[in-house]
Amino acid sequence: MLKLLIKKQLAEVFRNYFYNPKKNEMRSKGSVIAWFVFFVLIMVGMLGGMFTFLAVTLCKPLSLEGIDWLYFTIMSGLAIVFGAFGSVFNTFSGLYLSKDNDLLLSLPIPIKYIIISRLMNVYLLGTMYSATVMLPTLIVYWVIAGITLSSVICGLLLFITVTAIVMILSCVLGWVVAKISQKIKTKSFITVAASLAFIAAYYFVYFKAQTLIRNLIANAQIYGDKIKGSAYWLYLFGRMGEGSFGATAIFVCASAVLLAIVWFVLTRSFLSIATSSGKVEKIKYVEKSVKEKSSFGALLGKEFAKFTSSPNYMLNCGLGVLFIPVFGVLMLIKGRELLPILNDVFAQKAGSVCVLVCAMLCAISSMNDMAAPSVSLEGKNLWIAKVLPIEPKTVLYSKLSMHLILTMIPMIFSIICAAIVLEASSVDKLLICAIALLFVLFSSAGNLAVGLKMPNLTWTNELVPIKQSGAVLIAMFGSWAIVAVFAGLYLLIGYKIGSTPFLGIWAALLAAGSALLLRWLKTKGSRTFAEL
Amino acid sequence: MLKIEHLTKQYGDIKAVDDLSLHIRPGEIYGFIGHNGAGKTTTLKCISGILTFESGEIFINGRSVKAEPLQCKKDLAYIPDNPDIYEFMSGIKYLNFIADIFGISESERQEKIRRYGDMFELTKDLAQPVSSYSHGMKQKLAIISAWMHSPRLIIMDEPFVGLDPKASHLLKEMMRESCNEGNAIFFSTHVLEVAEKLCDKIAIIKQGKLIKSGTMEEVKGDDSLEEVFLELEAE
Repeated sequence: MLKLLIKKQLAEVFRNYFYNPKKNEMRSKGSVIAWFVFFVLIMVGMLGGMFTFLAVTLCKPLSLEGIDWLYFTIMSGLAIVFGAFGSVFNTFSGLYLSKDNDLLLSLPIPIKYIIISRLMNVYLLGTMYSATVMLPTLIVYWVIAGITLSSVICGLLLFITVTAIVMILSCVLGWVVAKISQKIKTKSFITVAASLAFIAAYYFVYFKAQTLIRNLIANAQIYGDKIKGSAYWLYLFGRMGEGSFGATAIFVCASAVLLAIVWFVLTRSFLSIATSSGKVEKIKYVEKSVKEKSSFGALLGKEFAKFTSSPNYMLNCGLGVLFIPVFGVLMLIKGRELLPILNDVFAQKAGSVCVLVCAMLCAISSMNDMAAPSVSLEGKNLWIAKVLPIEPKTVLYSKLSMHLILTMIPMIFSIICAAIVLEASSVDKLLICAIALLFVLFSSAGNLAVGLKMPNLTWTNELVPIKQSGAVLIAMFGSWAIVAVFAGLYLLIGYKIGSTPFLGIWAALLAAGSALLLRWLKTKGSRTFAEL
Repeated sequence: MLKIEHLTKQYGDIKAVDDLSLHIRPGEIYGFIGHNGAGKTTTLKCISGILTFESGEIFINGRSVKAEPLQCKKDLAYIPDNPDIYEFMSGIKYLNFIADIFGISESERQEKIRRYGDMFELTKDLAQPVSSYSHGMKQKLAIISAWMHSPRLIIMDEPFVGLDPKASHLLKEMMRESCNEGNAIFFSTHVLEVAEKLCDKIAIIKQGKLIKSGTMEEVKGDDSLEEVFLELEAE
């Protein structure tokens, strides 16, 4: 029975990898392999590459100082934070908010089996995130410091321990979020506010990382002694990676005990939390005048209502709303210091700074990808859009418009900030403005097109279309890839023609691409939506 | 009001609806019965524009649902077997959303919301999110939203499921009242007693094919509808 539940859970997570919703049939073996290779390449290439670089930077100096344990403490700590960050909200909604909870609870299935199958999903996600840190950490260490049997055994046990700690933290935080959710009324915004505080702390550390690492490497021995003296358990934790069987035994046992405690708490509270409807404020209906809206206005209002009602949707697909203006403010504050440095770095390639600023604006706009899962999020409500007298293109345009409104407005602010500090010709500034706005249009139309081509309307947990769908993955990484090509091409050969013609060509390309995508949405895309 | 001509709908190689023809006139309550998987919901979804179909034609008020889908949908209301309504909206927001789509004026929508809300005893809960509604409350909300724009043709899939006896009674009265005004209703049901008492005409579908249709007398004669249905099913 447990095997069956786990299979069901995994089938839901990886559904789009095995099933082609467009053709309503299972994918071929080759296609499944291609999807997984694509996914692994993105995880290993993007995230793994970043952490490999960090591991290489830290490993050698710390190993030379003889404080290899500090390297493992730092990297494992990072893996734990990264893993828990990636899966905490998955725990809350996956464990307690799944739409099939009622169904499963009504069946003769032991509750512990339901929890295990749900947690398997959390564990896999946490492991996936922590593996992008831990695997480079271990491999880099084995290459630089040399490989021994004890370092391999204990290193792998360290990895497993890290995944267990990630799971423990995710469960505890998910449980806390669930408990708080039962008590508060305005859940969506409080969840988002708490998450944003978490994200702000994360990015604060991220941006300070370079200074911290430099400082750490310069004073490694001092920090090492301090940690060893005041937090001996951190020292022991790092010793696991070095190959200390004693430290490994202590941490494996401690993790097992903590896991058992968490399991006890979860199993005791699962039923009451999963079946609780939470505190719903009783609002008395009072008739009041309403403003009549057009069909499009009503659909747009519906899209915004969906977006603002779901913390998962806001946090996973709408962070750009916050980060795009933050980028603009940062440009105003730090731009005058940073841009001349960039100018010096790329002195041989005139106009690079213009292109790089433009690329940064585009890249940050990619943090908004709310159009990508918007079709899938219709889920079982899709019949409403299909039965009402509205054209499919109007439905699609409402989804597109929400993305554009939430991205264009902060983007205009950011463009103005960038234009104030950027030293460039008026033509270049205008072209940067055009490209940034056209990129928003292009990526939003592209996101919607991908979401239409890869719909998942049968989810039981909204995190599946929001976070775990191929459409969102392609939308996000596709946008980043275009930005990388844009900046990379200029630095490689584009500088030879100068920034103005280069930006002009890209503006024309994006305008043409956007026009094509909009036309596709209006014609074939609308037909695709009508046939869903 | 509703004319279905040689409707065929396939899922892969399986014919869910096979060459079905039916004519529903203004003022008629037409019942649609058949065993599970017979093709009732598929037929209703094809009429409502939720599903496309391979061959045949469906006309609503003389207009083809293929050629003029929007005009057809303006005359139509559909209530699904499972009232999956936007859970992120409150009941009143959902009703206003529907009213906006159909371009219903403020005074008209408020009058209807008040009338039907009070009838179904849902008014006090209209400010609550739909996610907090029971199945029956969602069904009531779906019924109110369907009646908002005074549709000429109402398509309902198992409309009495989840409704309390009082709401069921009200719905039957509303159905009769709407048909008395010259509108038409086509609905599926498994409750044969309801079909027998409420419907002017009845259609029986089996394995996607229409096996019998006509007035209640034509279909059942002196027998009960249940006897006729079971007999036809056994053939």
